[in-house]
Amino acid sequence: MTLVPVYRQRPSPLHNARASAAASFCCAFALIGGLYAHPLVLGAALAGVLLAAGAAGVGREIGRSLRLALPLAVLIALVNPIVYQGGDTLLVRGGVVLGRRVDVTLEALVSGVLAGLRVVVLVVALGLLSAAVDPDKLLRVFRRVSYRSALTASLATRLVPVLARDASRMSDAARCRSTPPGRLAVARAALSGALERAVDVAAALEVRGYANAGRTGAARRRWSRHDVRVALAALLVAAAAIAARALGVGEVEAYPRLELSLGPAEVALAALLVGAAALPFVGRAARLGVAHG
Amino acid sequence: MAEPLVVAERFSYRYPEAERLALRELTLSIEPGSFTVLAGASGSGKSTLIRALCGLVPHFHGGRVSGELAVGGLDVRHHGPAELAALCGTVFQDPETQVVMGGVRAELELPLEQRGQSPASVARAVEEVALALGVAHLLDRRTETLSGGELQRLAIAAALAHRPALLLLDEPTSQLDPVAGDELIWMLRRLNEEWGTAVVVAEHRLERCLPAADRIVAMENGALACDAPPRGFLQWAAGAGGDLATPVARMFSLAGLGPPPASVKEARGALREAGLAPSAVEAAPGGRRRGAGALVLKRLWYEVEEGPAVLRGVDLSLRPGERVALMGRNGAGKSTLLRLAKGLIDPTRGRVECDGEVALLLQNPGDYLIHERAVEEAGAVALGAAGLGGREDTNPRDLSGGERERLALEVALAGGPHSVVLLDEPTRGMDPVRKRALARRIEELADDGAAVMVATHDTAFAADFADRVVLMGRGDVIGDGGPAEVLGGGWHFSTEVARALDGAALTAEQGAALLTRALAGEPLR
Repeated sequence: MTLVPVYRQRPSPLHNARASAAASFCCAFALIGGLYAHPLVLGAALAGVLLAAGAAGVGREIGRSLRLALPLAVLIALVNPIVYQGGDTLLVRGGVVLGRRVDVTLEALVSGVLAGLRVVVLVVALGLLSAAVDPDKLLRVFRRVSYRSALTASLATRLVPVLARDASRMSDAARCRSTPPGRLAVARAALSGALERAVDVAAALEVRGYANAGRTGAARRRWSRHDVRVALAALLVAAAAIAARALGVGEVEAYPRLELSLGPAEVALAALLVGAAALPFVGRAARLGVAHG
Repeated sequence: MAEPLVVAERFSYRYPEAERLALRELTLSIEPGSFTVLAGASGSGKSTLIRALCGLVPHFHGGRVSGELAVGGLDVRHHGPAELAALCGTVFQDPETQVVMGGVRAELELPLEQRGQSPASVARAVEEVALALGVAHLLDRRTETLSGGELQRLAIAAALAHRPALLLLDEPTSQLDPVAGDELIWMLRRLNEEWGTAVVVAEHRLERCLPAADRIVAMENGALACDAPPRGFLQWAAGAGGDLATPVARMFSLAGLGPPPASVKEARGALREAGLAPSAVEAAPGGRRRGAGALVLKRLWYEVEEGPAVLRGVDLSLRPGERVALMGRNGAGKSTLLRLAKGLIDPTRGRVECDGEVALLLQNPGDYLIHERAVEEAGAVALGAAGLGGREDTNPRDLSGGERERLALEVALAGGPHSVVLLDEPTRGMDPVRKRALARRIEELADDGAAVMVATHDTAFAADFADRVVLMGRGDVIGDGGPAEVLGGGWHFSTEVARALDGAALTAEQGAALLTRALAGEPLR
């Protein structure tokens, strides 16, 4: 079982949308994590991603991403009040450690929690990207720009699990020896094995004409209703996030006293995020296998 | 007559820093639409010839060439793999390193896109090749979810997507189970017949390929040793020591019968004509095995998370000195059973009882070789036992496949004596000479008192070394008895000789002795 979701083709509007649109959809929610520290906005973005993941049939995979992100978020939330002494509301008066006074303030604690929440939104949004966007199709988009770099990325995506399996096998073989070798020796051998594999892959690419490869032409594929809805949702989220940020919506001041704006603009932005997340999945047009214009 | 697709004229090649020539003075031609099998022991030059035909030799590997080798009129000395790729598709042994994309469809599209084909023609070619090679149902699958057979089929489809005139395959069945291997060879024959694609395949399991081949090119020490149709090749092999002969051809040769048959069907026909048709034999059931177990598996269950049960209450006991072949299709649970017996994984339920140490050789011998010098792997004595005396300072990764296999076995056996020795698929990609040597090594271990169990798909090898065969279904033991009992009357789990003689004998030697007695007037039973 891996904590990083792996793409599988599924019958969902998100999986069936073109890679560029689906990736934009996921990245738009990741953008919220990058731009905002407001708990309502972050909560709405998280809810939106979880809603989309559930509707796309990858709820369990995103649950695993959440398991990866939560310990990280908790760590940030705990470390921040220890290393940052700002804030007027003292919660715990600590002692002196290494000549430095350690007090815990409410502001630093809340600031840590919000930073952790931002990480959760980022990880979960990128987890949705990993689970719902075909990496081959996504890399094809980039191949038009830089063929060799994109192919290298494809190879890495494909070969990392293969090399991980190789290393696991070598570790088992080491356990079969009468005197098991050190981890360093096994790691070095695994690296040598990876280089051997790299040579084999290079040979395979050579005989497929890689040396003559050039940029690929763009396939003119018509926009499907899923492409349109997913892209529209991505555009809505990204545009609203940027515009609202520019207008000062969702401001949070953690120090010296915690201040956060909570008005109709924040509520509207949160509602828009959840609504946009649901957009690709609602209505008759979201059904698969049913023709709609 | 059409121009030959491949023309070699006194072509020789030496790898960089190698002492001897890998190919020497090769002169041959390959016609369009022909099906050619390259035969020969390991290290005879088959793979190097394949690599020369696709341009990797000398452009990728370096080294020195002399003479001429042209593919489709392009001289390989001046035209590299990228140019030759338009004429030939190439498939190597390990499908894991040939499949480079994450999705099946993307894998088929890649070589076409690299040739700058338009999206429309790419889409059509993918559809056509997927249907032709029976991988259309896999198009939306991720490559990491495919089995070895499916991956190899995909690699062939990717090599053929641009419809090359020549398909080159280097031991494509060595990583596959017998069913997938047979399917692959017959798929190649169909491609050859229906599309007119010339096929050149290097293969050890000749009994699998001979019925499909038009011609066999046998190599020895980099030179051409025989170039003939299957029957002519078998006659040559019978005279040249029989190492390359198929089991039934070897049986005919040992019994003094001729001409050597190229298939089981031919063998049965020849025996009928000679009045030697065997009657079906009911194998006597093996006696119940008694005695203290060197290894006892009690109601062993193994279940994976979110998956099916791999083992379902297996009971098995091995006595000291017993030689057991563990057989069954892929996914039957053979490897899991061996790993449980060694203690690499814990059973979900049940017990493993072992009287002494257990040695286990896993499938990939390279996994055991982790040091810079061969002598550091297992010591000088073990190196000698592996037949590698004098190679103490060689880097294990520079050893040949067979040498690695022998060294890995000695690494696994180091620290002995072991009361139980377990080998997982040790004969993959092995030539017959090396298989016989391994069978003798197993006999030595058993004579020293070890219970030896070998997971294998190779029925001929099992018949050669085993005194007991355990057959597994989906996690269960579905057959357990003497080799004659389990392999004599089977359909799939049966040797070529057994099929030709209706189970009256399993190996070429046993069959030849039987036929010799029959020729002397005794009944063929």
